[in-house]
Amino acid sequence: MRLKRLLLRYYPPGIILEYVQGGEPKTRSIDLLDLSPDTDVMALVEEIRKGEPLITASCKEQVIHLVRRLQEKLGEKEDHKFYLFKVLRAHILPLTNVAFNKSGSRFITGSYDRTCKVWDTASGEELRTLEGHRNVVYAIAFNNPYGDKIATGSFDKTCKLWSTETGKCYHTFRGHTAEIVCLSFNLQSTLVATGSMDTTAKLWDIEKGEEAVTLSGHSAEIIALSFNTTGDRIITGSFDHTVAVWDVGTGRRLHTLIGHRGEISSAQFSWDCSLIVTGSMDKTCMLWNAMTGRHVATLTGHSDEILDVCFDYAGQRIATASADGSGRVYNAETKMCIAKIEGHQGEISKICFNPKGNRILTASSDKTARLWDAATGQCIQILEGHNDEIFSCAFNYKGNIIITGSKDNTCRIWR
Amino acid sequence: MGLLSILRKLKSTPDQEVRILLLGLDNAGKTTLLKQLASEDISHITPTQGFNIKSVQSQGFKLNVWDIGGQRKIRPYWRNYFENTDILIYVIDSADRKRFEETGQELAELLDEEKLSGVPVLIFANKQDLLTAAPASEIAEGLNLHTIRDRVWQIQSCSALSGEGVQIKDASPARLCSPEGKDDGEAKFSKGTAGSVASSPCSSSEGLVWGLVSSSACRGIFHPSRRFDGEVSSLALGER
Repeated sequence: MRLKRLLLRYYPPGIILEYVQGGEPKTRSIDLLDLSPDTDVMALVEEIRKGEPLITASCKEQVIHLVRRLQEKLGEKEDHKFYLFKVLRAHILPLTNVAFNKSGSRFITGSYDRTCKVWDTASGEELRTLEGHRNVVYAIAFNNPYGDKIATGSFDKTCKLWSTETGKCYHTFRGHTAEIVCLSFNLQSTLVATGSMDTTAKLWDIEKGEEAVTLSGHSAEIIALSFNTTGDRIITGSFDHTVAVWDVGTGRRLHTLIGHRGEISSAQFSWDCSLIVTGSMDKTCMLWNAMTGRHVATLTGHSDEILDVCFDYAGQRIATASADGSGRVYNAETKMCIAKIEGHQGEISKICFNPKGNRILTASSDKTARLWDAATGQCIQILEGHNDEIFSCAFNYKGNIIITGSKDNTCRIWR
Repeated sequence: MGLLSILRKLKSTPDQEVRILLLGLDNAGKTTLLKQLASEDISHITPTQGFNIKSVQSQGFKLNVWDIGGQRKIRPYWRNYFENTDILIYVIDSADRKRFEETGQELAELLDEEKLSGVPVLIFANKQDLLTAAPASEIAEGLNLHTIRDRVWQIQSCSALSGEGVQIKDASPARLCSPEGKDDGEAKFSKGTAGSVASSPCSSSEGLVWGLVSSSACRGIFHPSRRFDGEVSSLALGER
């Protein structure tokens, strides 16, 4: 085993090791999820060396340098004020979802007008329109971190795989018998998973262009799914009130997370894949041990349905969005509520952290998106301008650009 | 509303849920009608760019009404919403005589759609509050409604603005089972010859009730089987 290169990963903080083993180039990562600007760097590096034989005395200095860079990044003061940069009016019907590629140079929008459009972030120029679906394009995704492919899931029951560069449709995945409403690539970009109103999820082989496995067992619609970081597990959230954990290789169901008393609205793994968070129409959010499937905690406090829930990039905090018009931030370790997000005049349908984890973005039916301090819940900025409710919002990886997609048929770029 | 609630409205219709599609030319009064049905304020209504969805409780039914914008550029997208429609409501501006031909053409195209085949159609001759409004009977004749043979239909005059002819009032649940007297009701259940003209807004205020009956009779909305392409859920049948 010989170390070739050390690479930085800002969010979540980590160092990627590129090395050669038996002539084969390989990578692995050292996650530094707890790193903060006041962590003792020398002690941390000693600890890393104990657990990682590849980090020898000769490259210790370099590691110290990288950790300091990560600390600087985390410590950077942020007083960025967003302003409306562009209004994109190319869609003729309401937008469904929006998504950035990893670098943030491109983003995509899905719409009820049956198309998905690819945009250049810097200029706001429409690069291409992905046409071919025969009904609403509902779920969209880039195969991040690569970003060279786009998957679209439609109410026409098919999923299409496209080239970002040329707009060519590589494959049309057929097999679902009802609307596709959620999809995701695995991080390795070998599979795309689709969840459907037909109560099944399917995994599709990107290379071969064919179905790899069908995940069946839910008794109602699947409306959320998420791969874990290593790509060997996938979870599906269903209107049948349960979440299932599946083995990606065999399609076997490993656990069923039973406990919610209402439809599931959202489900996600934490970065280190130890926890699963689920949000439900029963007004609660639950945490589960991802390995055993055991219930760990119930996060209560909302007075109406939970519509979205997410971890921050490091998996240390959880944000919830509710139909009661408020949001909450919880500590994933202590399960305590850290902050309340209050101010929206309507339900919050989408919530996300910026990659750094110190800001929260919410999209609401009150036609505004709002930016909040993740630690205090204080409102930092109100992004006003949409003429109708906002269905989706996203940060770029750097956290300095926001896009919002609305029922008013427009997408807006805020910088 | 949010995307999630759209999905919830999409999900397989349990018993007593009805999906209603509200179409018509721009400025026909679809959104006003929708808001009137939901007893909401109708003083500030602007052209619908996309769509509105409302769930209205009525007679123990949950009506999921989809109101899709009627502007010419949006009309090609109507077909996105055809699937699983239980009742089609087509709204006509009775005072806009210049566009009777256009609205007739659009309606004819809708009735030709495969996904809407057999779906009962209720036509609202709206804006009867205007002096220049054509009566429902005249519109029925102009649109050749009498030639519709493949589904039940009804034309009903109304004023979405005043609410006349729109609200589902005095209809008792019993009426749901046998709508407008036995003979008339029989006619409605038999496909092919069904159709009626209700010209006075006050005398027949049960347009939607009519729709529910027609729809349940013709398409079996009382069990959620249609979503599964003919596979009938035994549980639902048992409950019947």
